[in-house]
Amino acid sequence: MSEMMQSVKNSLKRPRKKSRLPLIVGASITLVMVIIGVISMFWIPQDVNVSDPSIRMLPIGTPHHLFGTDFLGRDVTSMLMTGVRTSVIIGASAAFLSLFIGTLFGMLAASISKLDEPIMRTADIFMAMPGIIFALVLASTIGAGYVTTIFALTSFFTPAFVRVTRASSMRVLSEDYISVARLYGRSRLFITFRHVLPNVSSILIVQFTIYFAAGVLSEAGLSFLGVGINRPSVSLGMMLHEAVEQIGITDPLGVWPGLGIVILVIGLNLLGDGLRDYFDPRFSQRVR
Amino acid sequence: MDNFALKVEDLVVYLDDLIAVRGVSFVINKGERWGLVGESGAGKSLTALAIMGLLQDGWKTSGAVLHDGMNLLQASDKTLSARRGRTMSMVFQDPTTALNPVAKVGKQITWILRHHMHVTQKDAYEQSLVLLNKMNLPRPESIMDSYPHQLSGGQRQRIMIAMALACYPELIIADEPTTALDVTVQKQVLRLLDAAVTERNCGLLLITHDLPVIAAMCENVAVMYGGRIVETGKISDVFTNPRHPYTKGLLASQPTLDNIDLDGGTRLPSIRGSVPPLYAMPDGCAFAERCDFATQKCKELPELDNQIQRVACWNPVAEARKGA
Amino acid sequence: MGRFILRRLAFFAITLLTTSVLIFTLIRAAGGNVAAILLGKNSSAEEIHKLSTELGLERPLPVQYFEWMGNFLHGNLGQAFRSKQLASHLIWSQAPVSVPLSLGGLILAIIIAIPLGTFAAKNFNRPSGAFVAVLSQIGIAVPVFWAGLLLSLVFGVHLHLLPTGGWVPWSENFVGALRSLALPVFTLGIVMASTLTRYTRTAILDVMNEDFVRTARASGMSRRVALIKVGLRNASLPLVTVLGLLAAEMVGGTVIIEKVYSLPGISRMILDNVTAREVVVVQSTVMVIVVYVMTINLIIDLAYGLLDPRIRVGK
Repeated sequence: MSEMMQSVKNSLKRPRKKSRLPLIVGASITLVMVIIGVISMFWIPQDVNVSDPSIRMLPIGTPHHLFGTDFLGRDVTSMLMTGVRTSVIIGASAAFLSLFIGTLFGMLAASISKLDEPIMRTADIFMAMPGIIFALVLASTIGAGYVTTIFALTSFFTPAFVRVTRASSMRVLSEDYISVARLYGRSRLFITFRHVLPNVSSILIVQFTIYFAAGVLSEAGLSFLGVGINRPSVSLGMMLHEAVEQIGITDPLGVWPGLGIVILVIGLNLLGDGLRDYFDPRFSQRVR
Repeated sequence: MDNFALKVEDLVVYLDDLIAVRGVSFVINKGERWGLVGESGAGKSLTALAIMGLLQDGWKTSGAVLHDGMNLLQASDKTLSARRGRTMSMVFQDPTTALNPVAKVGKQITWILRHHMHVTQKDAYEQSLVLLNKMNLPRPESIMDSYPHQLSGGQRQRIMIAMALACYPELIIADEPTTALDVTVQKQVLRLLDAAVTERNCGLLLITHDLPVIAAMCENVAVMYGGRIVETGKISDVFTNPRHPYTKGLLASQPTLDNIDLDGGTRLPSIRGSVPPLYAMPDGCAFAERCDFATQKCKELPELDNQIQRVACWNPVAEARKGA
Repeated sequence: MGRFILRRLAFFAITLLTTSVLIFTLIRAAGGNVAAILLGKNSSAEEIHKLSTELGLERPLPVQYFEWMGNFLHGNLGQAFRSKQLASHLIWSQAPVSVPLSLGGLILAIIIAIPLGTFAAKNFNRPSGAFVAVLSQIGIAVPVFWAGLLLSLVFGVHLHLLPTGGWVPWSENFVGALRSLALPVFTLGIVMASTLTRYTRTAILDVMNEDFVRTARASGMSRRVALIKVGLRNASLPLVTVLGLLAAEMVGGTVIIEKVYSLPGISRMILDNVTAREVVVVQSTVMVIVVYVMTINLIIDLAYGLLDPRIRVGK
């Protein structure tokens, strides 16, 4: 072997494996938030709707009130915990429902050509409408609340899932082994579920986390505007809404709920990115 | 001034711990035409890209590539770009994706002339028309004014060749220039390439897996296997009396009217086994496991010997030609 | 190109039509009796019936729909039940606030994100590029209103630089109006810039891997020149598409920002009416917003058609 080759061989580096850090950090953060939410279902320091004006606006670090109290004397810590729970539930529900419906229609659009055009046009129209508007309309007619919010968010996210599923399904369907299955006489539907679904699932999981995060942000926004979650339920966005209404934006009371949202969303984004890298075929080592 | 257009010395191309080109050396003198043959994955394209300095990010090189008085592997992108398109140029395989879709063809050609030869826009335009004419493209004015998507694959490939020749380079590298074209168009394009290269006396490195094409266009050939050159020499020698077992097998497996029975009864001879994957390359000769002449010595990596028809093999095909 | 324009215009019209039907149906059908909503909880059946007949709510839905559409196209957007104010006046009065805010934010986002995203793409393997990428990731995670809160805390309260709320009408004091808009536009711009930076970076990285960029470099373009001359121009195509998505985000952002900074724009108007359940006004207002967004989308799509020679010139 030539000297050159030898020296190269000696200097070879192990491939820079994509760091697992985002995945781990993201999963941990998400997990912690979910756990907080679950705990809040069984125990919170204080009832979130009991106001006690005598202890209003206590600063953080006060004994019994780790994060202080708000302008009505309600315990901020309890509200934060409950708020996290609300965000998780709404974000997850909206993402899950959109995933379910969107995947169904996406696969239908990909496998049955007659349905393709109408489904995609409908999805386009839904995508063209700003989600907030839709939510506002619903809130003005049905009234705000858990169900309305989830419904609005689901309608908003579903077209995206339809698009993604359709694209991935079409890619899978163009593979050779699908033609073989067709030759064997398998029905379109069977092929779709048996072959397409498993291949598409990794993409869907990643998209789920993305829309989970989007759901959290959107719900926060809607509640902030007053058309999302309202008392007696508690949400992080709603806390900010109240803070702005009552004290104005110049008071740091709104910092904590906002921070909670940011942490949860970053956790979910990292999880999504980590999962995407995890599912990537191991050979691609490009660090992008 | 060197008399070679390109001198490659011990070129190694690797990505992290994967070595794709494992020490390649050859010389292309001015005006010489070399074919580089080998199966897909043998490292031919990577060699070409490494010479041009166009490897994807992450790929590293080692060794030396001498051209125009310098070692290209140690040159900066800026220095290289002064040579690319001017003293050395490349024609790529897929004409559908090789041209800028949002710029008119004329602009793409004239840019080269203006950048390297510092001519005026008007002169560049005129010269481009001449180039397109040489490529047998009818109505060159209209082609200059078109976008790539309005032209056929054959037209696009001819434009690419024109762009590669524009500045009379010392060396043209053509990486599978006709593989993506229709069979009927392939011959036309190859003929044009041949004529143009002759006229300008450029060096040519033609990369392909298609042996007859090499035979038609080149005088010399280098056979690549497993990231290394296993045999080089004049085509007239190598193709009639291959010394490396791989070359022999390769030539034997070419369908010709002699070895195909027209009523479909024949099986083409093929080389048993398959190319080892990059991450499992043996330290010794990469072909050993498929070779009928392999011995223990083959566990050591053979280098090209010093005969006129060079081979990198411990047990080259019997020097039968020296006899009868 | 001609066919493209026609198709796009057709899509525009159809979407508007469908959306109007959707909005109409949602409000009329899903919310229960409009009259009942308008009158509130403690109204009697008689009152409801009287109002229903007055407003023509007893007639078949399609008839009501066409009447609404007809009126809408003539500029008659209905009126608020309680205040009797014309919806068109209400909407028009907040345009001087919302339109500059939304467009300003969009333009600012573009000005920030494109160079920044290009920088991140160019330096993707260096710490500086990675830093920008991470920054944009965080920016995407931050809710719009929180950003507003923080920025107003910093710039308004602690530094006393800019007003954190309130609105000085254009007619009263031009500079004052600009100052009231400064923080809001900045906030909106930064938030949208995060998303746009991310997309720009991806688009440019993808383009730089294309074959034709390799050909350009093989012809003698340095990396930098290839990026500017070939890369950016080609990346503009997917980016223009992204701008369309951004336009939808912009509406939501505008509504929220206005609330954060107490600007009397579309946000206040629509929220007040939503909470007051003034369905008629909400209906028309929503329609106007949809027209606004769809028009921006139309312009963006037509721009795409102009930019891509494969569409503009065709075969």
